[in-house]
Amino acid sequence: MSENILEVRNLTKNFPGVVALDNINLDIKKGVTHCIVGENGAGKSTFIKIITGALSKTEGSIIYSGQEYNPRSISEAMKNGMSTLYQELNVVEQLTVEQNLNLGKEKHILSFMKKSEQDLKAIEILKAIEPRIDIKQLVANLSTAQRQILEIARAIATDAKVIIMDEPTAAITEEETKKLFKVIENLKEKNVTIIYISHRLSDIFEIGDYVSVFRDGKLIATKAISEISSSLELVKMMIGKIVTESYIPNEVNYNKKVLQVKELNDTKLKDISFDLFEGEIIGFYGLVGAGKTEIAKAIYGLRDSKGAIIIGDRTRKINTPEKAIKSGIAMVPEERRTEGLFTELTVRDNIPVMNMQKVSRFGIRSKRKEALIARDFIKKLKIVTPSEEKKVALLSGGNQQKVVIAKCLNAESRILLLDEPTRGVDVGAKEEIHNLIRNLAKQKVSVIIFSSELQEILILCDRIFTMFNGSLKAVFKNGTEDISYKILHTALVGES
Amino acid sequence: MSSKNVNTELKTRKLNETLLQNLVTLGILVLISVIITALIPRFLTYTNINNVLLQISLIIIVGSGITLLMISGNFDLSVGGVLALAGVLFAFLSRAGVPTFFALILSVIFGSLMGALNGTLVVNLKISPIIVTLGTMYITRGLALIFANGSMISSGLPGDFRKLSNTYFGPMSLVIMIVIAVVIIFIFIQSKTNLGQYAFFIGSNRETARLSGINIGRTVSILYILVGTLAGLSGVILASKLGTGDSSVGDGFEFDVIVAAVIGGTSVAGGKGSISGMVLGAMILGVLNNSLNLLGVASYYQLVIKGLVLIGAIVLQRYIVEKFS
Repeated sequence: MSENILEVRNLTKNFPGVVALDNINLDIKKGVTHCIVGENGAGKSTFIKIITGALSKTEGSIIYSGQEYNPRSISEAMKNGMSTLYQELNVVEQLTVEQNLNLGKEKHILSFMKKSEQDLKAIEILKAIEPRIDIKQLVANLSTAQRQILEIARAIATDAKVIIMDEPTAAITEEETKKLFKVIENLKEKNVTIIYISHRLSDIFEIGDYVSVFRDGKLIATKAISEISSSLELVKMMIGKIVTESYIPNEVNYNKKVLQVKELNDTKLKDISFDLFEGEIIGFYGLVGAGKTEIAKAIYGLRDSKGAIIIGDRTRKINTPEKAIKSGIAMVPEERRTEGLFTELTVRDNIPVMNMQKVSRFGIRSKRKEALIARDFIKKLKIVTPSEEKKVALLSGGNQQKVVIAKCLNAESRILLLDEPTRGVDVGAKEEIHNLIRNLAKQKVSVIIFSSELQEILILCDRIFTMFNGSLKAVFKNGTEDISYKILHTALVGES
Repeated sequence: MSSKNVNTELKTRKLNETLLQNLVTLGILVLISVIITALIPRFLTYTNINNVLLQISLIIIVGSGITLLMISGNFDLSVGGVLALAGVLFAFLSRAGVPTFFALILSVIFGSLMGALNGTLVVNLKISPIIVTLGTMYITRGLALIFANGSMISSGLPGDFRKLSNTYFGPMSLVIMIVIAVVIIFIFIQSKTNLGQYAFFIGSNRETARLSGINIGRTVSILYILVGTLAGLSGVILASKLGTGDSSVGDGFEFDVIVAAVIGGTSVAGGKGSISGMVLGAMILGVLNNSLNLLGVASYYQLVIKGLVLIGAIVLQRYIVEKFS
């Protein structure tokens, strides 16, 4: 059999308080497509960062092309033939394709005057892969897929032996994906090794030779794709055993629909329809880019979508967050620092913002009322802060998230949209937030959770909707049987 | 906890940053004044101080609005042009026989309309505030020249044209009273009203403000209208004081106003600032101008010194505030 290009032995990476990678042993063969899969936080990115020199390892050894390998920087890894195609492509839009190909390789200050052999090689390679790209045009005019091909050509020209691709198909069309796959096939013929990271299991079955599954910092298994019978098998390896014991059904009033969404359509969403009952918690689960956030934004008046939103029994035209809040909807946005908080202002300034009427009369504020409300929420939500006059920027992530939630609760909405409500929050605060959400449901508030964390959805939600590529794929009723694999399968593959 | 308790605690904490900032600005002001008084004792006379106050009165009036506008992350470069145009319009209407009081009101309202125009262009057409107000700066300056026939309207004005600027109540001029009233009203808006708080929200994070249901367009428009109104008011005060509608006045005024706000701790990026600080900033500007004149420094050198003092003041402030807060 062919030799190994990469042999990883007992690789461990510790971060303060966390073992990100735990004793990884992995061989990657030369000239194959080796896929790496795992949930968010499984350790894939840490692994890639170590072999590309972006992070240093704590323990273990890496043998690359038969030699001990310890890159101290990304550029050192690149010099050794280890190239990475990041999700955020590393091209300069204002330069032409040709200039981009030669970028960073000018050996001499005047070398751009005369093309080196390597530059010509890069252009040759690019033409061989995709003759339709005009090398004189600006990169700004290229599609994402074309830019990827440009980066691949650059990598091959530097004699890359290993090309790492991180979610390369996340932002490109199906047709472009096919072209990329053809390029990958060609690379393999040239004995280049591809390390392919993706959430899309269909991609993996199409072009992968081997697959390694990561979970909780451990390598669960490495198998040849031909040995794997179905995507469900892969899913099971990815998530292991799921604990669903802590799901407690909420007291849902099935006689009262508080929200009906009918045939929501826009550039991303396709025919989204669902109902929400009083006191119910429902969850939307799907990969990054599946359209969860878009549903939240569409309901909250942030997207130009077609379709009907019926609150109670009245159809509402919601085209701004202002109207959404007036209709009784509040949203905890995905990015708390940039969308949820005024980090430079105090806790007292932040909490009343969605409902200023409560702290003002005829447009005149009462700072006393603001302080009382803020203190009330600090106590109720156990926000850890020395006082309500503390700048929000100085609080921890979990406490910042509680401030965002307090803002929404202060709006006294009947419907809460929570987009990734516990992302980047420590375990203790996470549990507190989960209990808080359950208590809200008890008070007849209806909640929609949009999360890429299956565990969170499974312990809180009465019904779970899976999303794939902008459409709803399935609805599951929680608590009846073990639905975790089915949910994950529909979300990853797009069919049940 | 009792509400009284909440209140006192609130006050002690709130003082921190703004107070420190203002203390530093005040310190710089006192420092400059002490040096000047040592050099020229005449500086500290009633007449001279009054003179300084009159010179900076227009900066303080317009600065009150500009500070709020800048807190919201916006800008207005057209205030100098609007000031000139409102003054010329005031003279134009008065000469045409419109009763002085009505001419005055109409000219101020015209300022409001220019503010509304700025607001509409910034909000609805989503053009950068600097570009929009640079455009309206040219337009207003041009219109002022057109109305004033290229220079000024000085003849044929009614007898009460100067009344606004030479009315006194005891030792206090009406203009100074207007300045004080404007400052009080705007400090109230800044710290006690939703409008003021919305300006802080929008300036510190526009996206969060939008997602929190704040009507950004309406808020920003109102702020532009307030600034335009104040610029119009300043224009009629100046015209009344000069006794003419002069199309060339207020050249560089927009920068004086912004500089006063910035020295007073207002951030060009938005989210931070105070009107009280701006008043102190305007005083530093006024004292500096006045003392350089008293010292008989040639005007070319004055510009250089002014520039140095301004940069120095801001560097010193930042150093002290960062060190102690």
